[in-house]
Amino acid sequence: MRPLRLSALVLLLFASGVRADVALPEFERVELDNGVVLLISEKHDVPLVGLEAVIRGGAIQDPAEMNGLANLLAGVLEKGAGERDAAAFAEAVDAVGGRLSASAGLESVRISADFMAHDAELLIELLTDMLRRPALDAAEFEKLRDRSINLIKAAKGSNPGDLLPAYGNAFLFPGHPYGNPVGGSEASLARISHEDLLAFYENHVGADRLIIAVVGDFNAEAMKRRLSAAFGEWRSAANDESLVPVAQKQEGRRVLLVDKPGATQTYFWLGNIGVAVDYPQRAELNLANTVFGGRFTSMLNSELRVKAGLTYGARSVLTRPATPGSVVISTFTETSTTTEAIDMALDLLEKLRDAGIDEEMIDSARNYVMGQFPPRLETAAQLAAQFATLEFYGLDQTFVDNYVAALGAATTEGIAATITDVYPSPDNLVFILIGDAGKIRDDISQYGPLTELSIQETRFRP
Amino acid sequence: MSIFSELRRRNVLKIALLYAVASLLIVWIVDHAVSGEFAPIWAKEFVLLLLAIGFLVALIFAWVYEITPEGLKKGVDVDQTQSIVYKTGQKLNAAVAVLAVLGLAAIVGERLLPEFELVRLEPVEEIPLRPVYDSSESVGVPREITAYTMANGLRIVVWPDHDIPNIVMYNFVRAGGRNEYPGITGLSHFFEHMMFNGASELDPGEFDRIMEAAGGANNAYTSNDLTVYQDWFPRSALKTIFELEADRLQNLAIDPDVVESERSVVYSERRLRIDNDNDGRLYEQMLANAFVAHPYQFPVIGWPSDIENWTQEDLESYFKTYYAPNNCTMIFTGAVSPEEVFLLAEQYFAPIPRQLPPPPVRTVEPEQAGERRLLIEADTETPLLHVAFHAGSAADPEARHMELLLNILVGGDSSRLHRLLVEEEQLALGVGGMQMEGFDPGLVYFYLTLPPGADVAAVEARLLEELERAAVEGVTGAELEKARKIILADYWRSLSTINGKAAALGNYEVFTGSYENLFSLPENVSAVTVVDLRAVASRVFRRANMTVGVLQAAGEET
Repeated sequence: MRPLRLSALVLLLFASGVRADVALPEFERVELDNGVVLLISEKHDVPLVGLEAVIRGGAIQDPAEMNGLANLLAGVLEKGAGERDAAAFAEAVDAVGGRLSASAGLESVRISADFMAHDAELLIELLTDMLRRPALDAAEFEKLRDRSINLIKAAKGSNPGDLLPAYGNAFLFPGHPYGNPVGGSEASLARISHEDLLAFYENHVGADRLIIAVVGDFNAEAMKRRLSAAFGEWRSAANDESLVPVAQKQEGRRVLLVDKPGATQTYFWLGNIGVAVDYPQRAELNLANTVFGGRFTSMLNSELRVKAGLTYGARSVLTRPATPGSVVISTFTETSTTTEAIDMALDLLEKLRDAGIDEEMIDSARNYVMGQFPPRLETAAQLAAQFATLEFYGLDQTFVDNYVAALGAATTEGIAATITDVYPSPDNLVFILIGDAGKIRDDISQYGPLTELSIQETRFRP
Repeated sequence: MSIFSELRRRNVLKIALLYAVASLLIVWIVDHAVSGEFAPIWAKEFVLLLLAIGFLVALIFAWVYEITPEGLKKGVDVDQTQSIVYKTGQKLNAAVAVLAVLGLAAIVGERLLPEFELVRLEPVEEIPLRPVYDSSESVGVPREITAYTMANGLRIVVWPDHDIPNIVMYNFVRAGGRNEYPGITGLSHFFEHMMFNGASELDPGEFDRIMEAAGGANNAYTSNDLTVYQDWFPRSALKTIFELEADRLQNLAIDPDVVESERSVVYSERRLRIDNDNDGRLYEQMLANAFVAHPYQFPVIGWPSDIENWTQEDLESYFKTYYAPNNCTMIFTGAVSPEEVFLLAEQYFAPIPRQLPPPPVRTVEPEQAGERRLLIEADTETPLLHVAFHAGSAADPEARHMELLLNILVGGDSSRLHRLLVEEEQLALGVGGMQMEGFDPGLVYFYLTLPPGADVAAVEARLLEELERAAVEGVTGAELEKARKIILADYWRSLSTINGKAAALGNYEVFTGSYENLFSLPENVSAVTVVDLRAVASRVFRRANMTVGVLQAAGEET
C-alpha cells in the first residue's frame, strides 16, 4: 500500500489549526523518443486503475467559425476504434464495468478512464485504439454533431445557467481563443464537416502532444512497457501548437443581456481577465477567493444567500489556463431582485478590494483550504488527473508538495496586494445576464453600454 | 577416515566453492539484466531456484564420480593408486581463482567500463499487467468497522481508514417527504435549511463559520425518505464537529425572522430546480400523478402554498419528533477510531433525550387502476418524455433485480435503450433511468429528451415495445454478466473514498437494517439469474402500472 505520504505528525492536533502536509506519491516519468510522456504510479488499496490521457490543444485550436470541433473529435474518439465499431467499443467498456470518456477543454482533449485492475490490459488496448486507430466514422460524426446541436437547445430550456460561461467567455474574450465556446454553438457546429474532423485529427493529435498518467493496482514496470510498446512508434501531429496571446483586461464596462422571455429568474456573470496557472501568489489568491466566493460562508454567499435570501448560491470562480483566464462572480436571483443582487455583488467586490481580509478570516480560510485539500488527491483517478495536469503545464511536484507551506506563509499584506492585482474594480467589468429582457432591460441599462441577444439565436457571441 | 577428509579428497569441497563463486557471478549478471529491463522480474527467483537445485546435484555428483584419464568413473570403480583427484583439485582451485577475479573485475569495472548494450529481444511482454494486491478478492465485513447504539437510541457506525488525515460524518435523519401531509409539504427540506440557521448560542451562519474556520465543509440533502447531513473535515476538527452537531440537535433555534428569510431562499431553490428547469417541472407532476395515496406524491421541496404558510408550531413539533436521537443514524469514516467517537458521543449526545418514535407511515399506495397520462405545455424546442412504473422498496430483493435490469436497459452507451433510441434510430437525444429506493415501494423511472419536432407518441411506442420485450423475452446471460460487472466496479469505486464509504454504509444501515449487507453485494449480485430479471420486468412493465408525462411546446401534436 502506498497512500498519500502523510507525515504522522499531521495527526497531532495543533491548537492553532489544521496542518495537513500533503505530498504527491512517488511516480515515474518516462519520455519516449517521439515525445509521449508517461507518468506512472502504483496504488494498491482498491482494485482499480485510473488513467488520464491529455492531448495538448483543445478548443483553442478550433478553426475560426468552427467552435466545438475539438469537442466533437473527443466524442467521435469514443465511437469506434481499431477492430471495434461504435457499438462494439461501448460494449467492450461496459462489459467490464469500466468508465471511459473523452471530452475537450479549452486547452486539451482529455480521455479519463477508471477500470477494475483486472482489466488494465483492455484499458490500454482501448486507449491505444482510440488515439492511434480511431474509426472517425462519418455517420457517427454526423449523429454526434446533430445531437450536440439539439442538446444546446435543450439546455436553453432546462439549465440556462449552464450556458453562462459560453456567453460570458465569448463576450469577455472577443477575438481571442479563450472566447471559443468549448462545446460549440448551434451555428458553429452546423458548419463543421467530416473532412474538418479528419483534418483536425491529423493536425492536432499525435505523439508530441500526448501525456498519459496512470495510477492504480498494477506493476509499474509492466505498465511502462505496455504503454511504451503501444505509443513508442506513433507519428507526431502535423501542425505545431499555436501560441495563445495574452488577453487584454477589460477597461470600463460592457453589458450583454440574453433574452429568455418568461424566465422567472435572472442568471448573471460578472467578470474580467484574471491570471494564468503559473501566477506566483497562488496560495494568497486561493485564500482570497475562498473568503470572497469560494465557500459557503464566503462574502458573496453570506450576504446574498444567508443574510438577504436573494439566491440559492453565489460564488466567485478563477479560471487559470496557460495565459491569463477569467475572474468571475456568478449567481442567480428572482427577476424582480436582479439589480438588488447585482448591486450587492458589486459592493462586495469593492469592499474586498478596499478593505482586504483580516487576520482572523485568513486563518479561517487557511484551515479550510488545508482541511479540504487531502480528499482531492484520494483516488487513483484523481491522482492520475493531477499528474497529467502538472506535466501539461510544465509544473513539478512542488506545486502540490509545497502548497501547504505556501498557505502557511501567506501574509495579510501579501493577500491584500494579490487582491488588488487580480480582482477587477467594479468599474471595469463585463456583465452577462440571462433573463426576461422585457422585465429587466430598463433597470440594467444603468450598468453600461447594453448589447442584446435572444436566447433563440444560434450563437453565443453577439 | 573422517567424512571431512574424504569430502576433501574427493574434491567435493572445492566443487562447492567453485559452484558458489560461479553462482554469485550468475546472480550478479541476472540481477543486472533484470534491472536493465532485459529479463522478466521473476527471472532472479527462477535462477536462484535452479542454482539451489544444481548445487545439490553437483555435490552428489562430485562425491560419487571422479575424473580419471579414461574419463568419468564412479569413485568406487577407480583404483585409488591411479587417482588423479589431486590434479583435478588443482584445476578446480585455478577455476575458482579465475572466476573470483572475473567477478571482482565485473563488480569493480561496472562503473569504469562503458555500458554495454545487450541486443534487446523484441517487445518484452513477460511481466503480466495484472493486479498486484487485488483487494477485489477480499470478502466479508471488514473487522475494523464497529457499531454502537447509545442509551438514547442514537445509532453510530465507525469505519476507520487512515489513508488521508480526514474524517467524514453522515447523519441520516429518518425524515423526508413521506413523513409529510398537506399543509406541511416541504417541511423536511425546510429543516435541512434551518439546521444551519442557529442554535442556543449560535447566530444564523455561525454553524458554518465555525466549521469552515476549523477546516470543515458541510452539505445536506433531503429525499422522499431521509434528510442527510454531511460533514467533511480534517481530523483536528473532530471535537468541533461534535460540539456543533450536538448543539443543533439539542438546541436548534427556530427564530421567526430567520424562518421568513429562509422561506425566500427555499423559493429561490424551487425556481432554480423546478420552475426554470423543464425536467424538474415534469418530474414534480409525474410523482403527483403516479401516487394517489402515498405521500411520495409530494414534492420534496414542498408546494408553494405550504412553503408560505407552515407555522411556528408545525416547525417545533416536527423538530422534536424527527430530530430525536432514536430517529438518527450517524456514520463516521476516515482517520478516527471507534473508541474516540464513542467517547465523544457519550460526552456530547448522551444528554439529548429519546422521544416517542415518529408515527408510522400507514398509507400503502393501492394497486394502480390503469394507465395515467399528463401533458405540460412549455416554451421548449426539445420535448421531454417521462415514463414511470410502480415497483418495490429498497429492502425488496426485487430492487436488486431491477437495478441489474436498469443497467442492461440504460447503463452506459452499450445499453439497450441508448443504442436503439439514441444511436441507431436517433429518436432521442438522451435516455436515462432510475428507481426510487426508499422505505416504501417507489417508482422505476425513465426520462428521455427528444430532438426538436420529434413524434413523441412514436417514441413512447418504441420505448414501451422495448420494455415489453424485456418482460417477454428477458435478457441474455451476457447482458446479465455485463450488468453485474458494472455494479461491482461501481461498488469498488464507492469504497475508494472515505466519503463513498460513509454514504454506502449509511444507506445500507438505514434502508436494509444493517451496514453488513453492503458487503454481501458481490455475492447477492452473482446469485441473480436471467429468470429473476424477466420476472421483475413482467411484474413492473405493465401499462396499467404506468404513468406517462410529456412536456412540449404548445400546439404540438401529442
